[in-house]
Amino acid sequence: MGLMHGSAGFTRYMAERTLPQNFKEGLSENIARYAFRDLDDKSIDERSAGWVNILDMFDNRFAGIEFLKEPYIAMSLRLDERKIPPTALKQYCREAEKTIKEEEHLEFLPKSRRADIKESVRLRLLKRAIPVARTYDMIWNTATGLVVFGSTSARVCDEFMERFLRTFNLQLQAICPYTLGELHLGQEGASPHLLDGLSPSRFLEDQ
Amino acid sequence: MQLLERVRKTEFLGREFLLWLWFKSETEDGIFDLGDKGKAELWLGGKITLQSENERGVETITCTGEALSMKEARFALAEEKEIRQATVKLAIGDNQWSFVLDSTWMNFRSFKAPRVMNDGEEDPDGLFYEKAFLIEEAISAMDQIYSSFMKRRLSPDWATEDRRTIGQWIRQGRDGD
Repeated sequence: MGLMHGSAGFTRYMAERTLPQNFKEGLSENIARYAFRDLDDKSIDERSAGWVNILDMFDNRFAGIEFLKEPYIAMSLRLDERKIPPTALKQYCREAEKTIKEEEHLEFLPKSRRADIKESVRLRLLKRAIPVARTYDMIWNTATGLVVFGSTSARVCDEFMERFLRTFNLQLQAICPYTLGELHLGQEGASPHLLDGLSPSRFLEDQ
Repeated sequence: MQLLERVRKTEFLGREFLLWLWFKSETEDGIFDLGDKGKAELWLGGKITLQSENERGVETITCTGEALSMKEARFALAEEKEIRQATVKLAIGDNQWSFVLDSTWMNFRSFKAPRVMNDGEEDPDGLFYEKAFLIEEAISAMDQIYSSFMKRRLSPDWATEDRRTIGQWIRQGRDGD
């Protein structure tokens, strides 16, 4: 479920509000450079991440300017991961160890040899594993600087912030009570340092 | 002070904001002025998570139900537990949103916006703009309400009035009033 369909969670960020005049030049190329690439059937890569069309997770071409929906830039971050179920890995390792012991007439396999077997089994199974695809929508209002990203997972959000920086060369600022307080004081024309003087309220202290 | 240190030292503001929202919705009908956008009605309903940290470690309590005047959650407040996240219902005009607001990063979880008429088949961009508008409208309303909270929190009246009345309300919860 993303922001476009059903219910979702999201994290908010602020991007630079004043963008350079030539900001849109080369934007398509930059986005295409960091677009999603399918995991190759023959590769042993465990994951792949990149941008896809927010309205179609299978469209990663960015041939046009489908990401531009004035005043928004909207895309999805797609993360594909191959995972081997731990029980399957254990079973295949046990079978491989048994075969080797029989072939080499061994009673016992040293720890290092067992680790090598496990790694080779893992790589073999990885090629057979079907990647699990997930998408996380991003809506960036370039007029206000508000960026909404459809995940609240710290790991996914970190990956998003890094990819956003590489794609747009812009650092995102995460929203939290402090930054929201700063925005409020900015609108009031007051100094953000007023927040530094605050301490937690003791509601149940004798008054 | 570095930004990260400032962020860490003011984390309590998110918890106090959720408490203030609950207090306002219980005692003052939860009506908030959004300026030229009219008025918003807000109440807490669904799940609320409270937490305290003391020498015994971290203690967490989660209460679920529509009636957040529920005794257990109110009692937890009186035991000096603080709200970590709460399900917020927000209504502006005919539109109603539901989401779980997190006190640390002000994240919106389980966000449900009003149903849109456009199914996206014929006009996918229309669906996008409608969804984006509804997301931004909820965010903008919550930011304005947070701004109202900050205004009170930074005013001298907070210590003399708000802190006292919220304290009384918390005590009433313990006494079962």
